[in-house]
Amino acid sequence: MNSLYLAWQYIRFNKFKTIILVASITLIAVLPLSLEILLAESERQLLNRAESTPLLIGAKGSALDLAMNSLYFDDEVPELLTMAAADRVYDTDLALPIPLYARFQTRGHPIVGTTFDYFDFRKLKIAKGQPLTMLGDCVLGAKVAAELELGPGDSLVSSPENLFDLAGVYPLKMKVVGVLTPNHSADDLAVFVDIKTAWIIQGLGHGHQDVTRTRDSSVILKRSEGNVAANAKLFHYTEITDENLDGFHFHGDTSIYPVSAVIAVPYDDKSGTLLRGRYLEGDESQLIILPAEVIDGLLQNIFRIRNVLDAVIALVGLATLLAIVLVFTLSLRLRQREIQTIFKLGCRKATISRMMMAEIVLILMFCAVLSSAALGVIDSNAEELVRRLFIG
Amino acid sequence: MKLTRLLILLVFLAIATQTFAAKRLSIYTVNYPLAYFAERIGGDQVTVTFPAPEDVDPAYWMPDQKTITAYQQADLILLNGANYAKWVDKVSLPRSKMVDTSSKFKDRYVNISEATTHTHGASGAHAHESLAFTTWLDFSLARLQAESIYIALARKRPMAEMAFKRNFQALADDLERLDTRIRAIVARDPGRALLGSHPVYDYLKHGYGMNLRSVHWEPDQAPSMSQWNDLKQILEEHRAEVMLWEGEPLADSAARLKEKGLGSKVFSPCGNRPEDGDFLSVMQQNATNLEQAFR
Repeated sequence: MNSLYLAWQYIRFNKFKTIILVASITLIAVLPLSLEILLAESERQLLNRAESTPLLIGAKGSALDLAMNSLYFDDEVPELLTMAAADRVYDTDLALPIPLYARFQTRGHPIVGTTFDYFDFRKLKIAKGQPLTMLGDCVLGAKVAAELELGPGDSLVSSPENLFDLAGVYPLKMKVVGVLTPNHSADDLAVFVDIKTAWIIQGLGHGHQDVTRTRDSSVILKRSEGNVAANAKLFHYTEITDENLDGFHFHGDTSIYPVSAVIAVPYDDKSGTLLRGRYLEGDESQLIILPAEVIDGLLQNIFRIRNVLDAVIALVGLATLLAIVLVFTLSLRLRQREIQTIFKLGCRKATISRMMMAEIVLILMFCAVLSSAALGVIDSNAEELVRRLFIG
Repeated sequence: MKLTRLLILLVFLAIATQTFAAKRLSIYTVNYPLAYFAERIGGDQVTVTFPAPEDVDPAYWMPDQKTITAYQQADLILLNGANYAKWVDKVSLPRSKMVDTSSKFKDRYVNISEATTHTHGASGAHAHESLAFTTWLDFSLARLQAESIYIALARKRPMAEMAFKRNFQALADDLERLDTRIRAIVARDPGRALLGSHPVYDYLKHGYGMNLRSVHWEPDQAPSMSQWNDLKQILEEHRAEVMLWEGEPLADSAARLKEKGLGSKVFSPCGNRPEDGDFLSVMQQNATNLEQAFR
């Protein structure tokens, strides 16, 4: 107890030195551990999205591009497949298909064409307004709405794919009908439309006056038995309203219309296995992946940098420890007269050693308390920190 | 004590039964025939809603947003297929709840040869306007549609499958009787020329091999001069003696047809709820009227 008292008084007297020592040791302890916490949390959040998606089907090609575009709505659009892929899954009766068409953009945010089932699948709820109902409706992710300051009743125009494609499809003015609650995922950063609306943005569907009944012959290229061919003069609506909704239609068979991926939600584990088996044939033109496996592989590669960081921190830590040892040693040398005085006063060598050790123990105790507090704060806020700093 | 326990058990069972019975499956349909089939098969396990107003043709009806939301929230959405209910392509509905009741006989869809389609440019793809959609008028196809509904209900509520199966069998028997009756009627004179007042009898024609051509008249509207002229031209090559109407025609129209040697018989497609009776009674009356047309 006397040793502790004296050590405490010594530490109090030499505040500046104590603070520097405590800060150095605390930093060395907290840095690698907090990094570990944040990296584990990043991995968890990134994997969470992939693990919640049972199966993904895409065109044969890069599994990573397919996963990144479908899970995180990455700019890189994978090889496209057709709606027939979704029909194929539906016909197996093994899984619910949810097609995705994440190709277009609006004001820097991805437009994700999908079906109504997507919202139930991802457990997305409406915070304001209502869900998608008609063609031309769009629902905003929470962050998109906040960033663009849009809400139900506002409108949003799709961006043209190619600024130089003057003869291309006119951008579509979409009606914002709802805003989603924050989901802390890529869904917060997307604009959702019905997949049919995405096809309209592409120009596969459109609305115009009824050419089979029009009296304006300047828009007619040719009339034949049972068919009227319209020419390029025919005006296509750039906005879907209640008045012109009836005029919107699609040409040809929609089963050949494009999608970027199909999420397959098996009805049970056995169905999932059976479904995967159907895509194993050598001449199969489609790819079925387990998103968790693909993303896990990616994260393993990315987080190999963790080993480098750990090594660097270990070296820095070692250097700091050596410096601390040097400080203690020099401190002892500087306190030679003090130690000799204590010795001459009758203090045994063991007691003097105990006093020195007590100083070190007290400093280490302070470091331990501070480190625990810092790590506790980081751990409890890790989710938010990772979201803000790394994922966005 | 034993009596008390028994009473408590009975009360508990009653509450449990009530709770179970109260949770009916909510079913929305796009036309009346499907609503009828769902009601027959589902019985007290289902609440069937067919929200189109009584005075509209459901094939061309467009529900408002509130109604579309109600469809989205249903447990099952029964679709006819064959491009019936064109509004379905213009709204967002959950595929997990949709049942295309004619998906199993897509190879038996009938194309409307008289429809005018359009393309963009000389070689563009056609817009889909050319499928006939009153599939239920071929009662063998109606039975298949009813079967799709039974399968969907049994999947949703496996515990009630036996009841659904019994109900479906009873409905299937009724539809098969109608099918047999129509075949027998047409078999008396397979080549008998008939006219349809409206192009809604394609499945009746193809399903039963009837010699039927259609014009485009409405029972509650007087035909125009050009429509009478078109009819005259048709009658020159298609000597029909009876015109089938969707509903009771105007007295003037019927009288004028009679002058031309054409009788009028009602064969209601029953796409919407009838004022009197139900789908089965309407179809039975249709069969009786057809019998008279074949005399």
